[in-house]
Amino acid sequence: MTKAEPAQQAVVDAATAFEIQDFLYLEAELLDERRYPEWVNLVADDFTYQVPVPRTPDSPHKPHWDDRSLLIDESKWSLMSQWFRRFDADIYETAWGENPPVRFRHVLSNVRVHGLTGPAAYEVRSNVVLIATRQSDPPRYLSGRRTDELVRGDSGFLLRRRRVVLDQVLLDFPQLRIIL
Amino acid sequence: MTAVEERAGQVSRARWADRELFDLEMARIFSRCWQFLAHESEIPEPGDYVLRKMGRDVVIVVRDENGDVRVLLNSCRHRGVPLCRADSGNASHFRCSYHGWTYANTGELRGVTYQRDVYGRDGIDKSRLPLYAPAQVDTVFGLVFATWNRDAEPLREYLGDITWYLQAVFDKYPEGLEVVGTPVRNVVRANWKTEGENLSGDGYHTAITHASAFELGLFATERDLVKLADEIAPRFTGRTVCTPRGHTMRVQRLPLVLDGTHYFGYPAGMWPQFDARLSPAQRELMSALSVGHGSIFPNMSFIENFKTNVDGPDLHARYVRITIRYPIDATTSEELWLYLCPRGADSDWARLSRLAYLRTNGPSGLFEVDDTENFVGISEASRGDVARGLPVVLEGGRHHPATPVEAGWPGEVVDGDRTERTIRCFHRRWDELMGDSEAGR
Repeated sequence: MTKAEPAQQAVVDAATAFEIQDFLYLEAELLDERRYPEWVNLVADDFTYQVPVPRTPDSPHKPHWDDRSLLIDESKWSLMSQWFRRFDADIYETAWGENPPVRFRHVLSNVRVHGLTGPAAYEVRSNVVLIATRQSDPPRYLSGRRTDELVRGDSGFLLRRRRVVLDQVLLDFPQLRIIL
Repeated sequence: MTAVEERAGQVSRARWADRELFDLEMARIFSRCWQFLAHESEIPEPGDYVLRKMGRDVVIVVRDENGDVRVLLNSCRHRGVPLCRADSGNASHFRCSYHGWTYANTGELRGVTYQRDVYGRDGIDKSRLPLYAPAQVDTVFGLVFATWNRDAEPLREYLGDITWYLQAVFDKYPEGLEVVGTPVRNVVRANWKTEGENLSGDGYHTAITHASAFELGLFATERDLVKLADEIAPRFTGRTVCTPRGHTMRVQRLPLVLDGTHYFGYPAGMWPQFDARLSPAQRELMSALSVGHGSIFPNMSFIENFKTNVDGPDLHARYVRITIRYPIDATTSEELWLYLCPRGADSDWARLSRLAYLRTNGPSGLFEVDDTENFVGISEASRGDVARGLPVVLEGGRHHPATPVEAGWPGEVVDGDRTERTIRCFHRRWDELMGDSEAGR
């Protein structure tokens, strides 16, 4: 086994860590309840959301994802105008895949906060399980490791970047248009 | 009605849900037909391999040390253990984890462990135990195909007139296309045929299934069209192509009045390159393209699509995608998604093209969300004992006129966008291969 540097511990104070954890719970709650107009207020204007394609690598020393290809690559603009817009009263009836909507449930754990250099910026790692229930089907699950970047704005935190690495390679989920 | 679409006006819904028909399909279609496996750019170097499927069999698609593409059944000849467990990698040899039999990446059995102890002084005749391999492997425009069938016609003959269209999509780039990264794989709870039927040429569903995409500006509207040309034509026009082996295509053109070729969605610097590589009739096919998509029988589809306002107003791009559906059971399939980008393309454009793909026809794209709900629904409803016995209606577009031969498009070509003739063509080929399998059903 090769020698490793000691694992890094969280470096922010308990109050900040608690605030950030609560922010993530609120953010997940807004997604689960499809309160998208409120959710949008929690993300920065330059927000990016990416999920690389998962894979089974040929070595334990290689990542189980491929950064060259993405499953999801969205911005605040694309989420607002191409995802959430589909739930608006004037078009949801022909946004067939969202009607009836798949029910999503986020389960978050192992939240760890690191201070980043720069003003009031944090890297937050967490484990996420997303449970999706379509119509009368049994629930299906996806798990992943989330890395978020948060900044403290005038009226609380803003999510600036989210990147999620999935564990499952052959994805078995009712739809892949998902915010993990 | 053209010769290729005779019969097959109505087919039983059992085709999308019946287990015994599914088993027959594996024997009569997947053990006989050429099947698409991979794009050569996925395995550029000697030893590079990807795992793919032919029907329900997993195969290794590998470039051997001589640079030739080999396809090998991923199962040791000794006791059947898979040799590769990764989705992709690089290996000069494959070694079995059970008893250590070792194969060169040509498939040749090179090493048998403890050979004298186990098989006696003369050992075992290794020459009779290479990895099992398809009878034929061939490549066209970088697309790798294989078949188990020794008697199958050569690939070029199998593809027939659709080759000309594949050339226009895949071979118009001076440095070729490359698959970008690892393909997405997902399970779709629908019969393997369903999405291929849609992509074969169903221009009928678009305005309904994808109604919301019109609202979101992803289809070119008058607002976008006036910026592309001085004069707008009254409507989008479409053509479909059918060929005897069940391969089909639909081409929809933007409603613009134009002089010369205009490959909207690509950087203008690429346009003369396309002109140089395409015949005049192929330029007509690719110029002002709104969307072109088709299916290669049995389970591969391709699409080249022009999508508008994908990353903000006036940000339009085209992209090329291949999808494959592997059969799992009568109502479940595995889908594989390959996004292809021209080698050497401008990086800003390449990013926009990839976003256009991901946000529309990518696995997380909104077109797929709406389409998939239909595909899954067909299998769900066709499982019913009454529903399974009913026919589906595939009679659309029979009155559409044949395209004038002067157009120079090969195959049986018809003018008309909202049609079901390509799906009839698929099922006519299905009938031919499946024989009387539905008798008494």
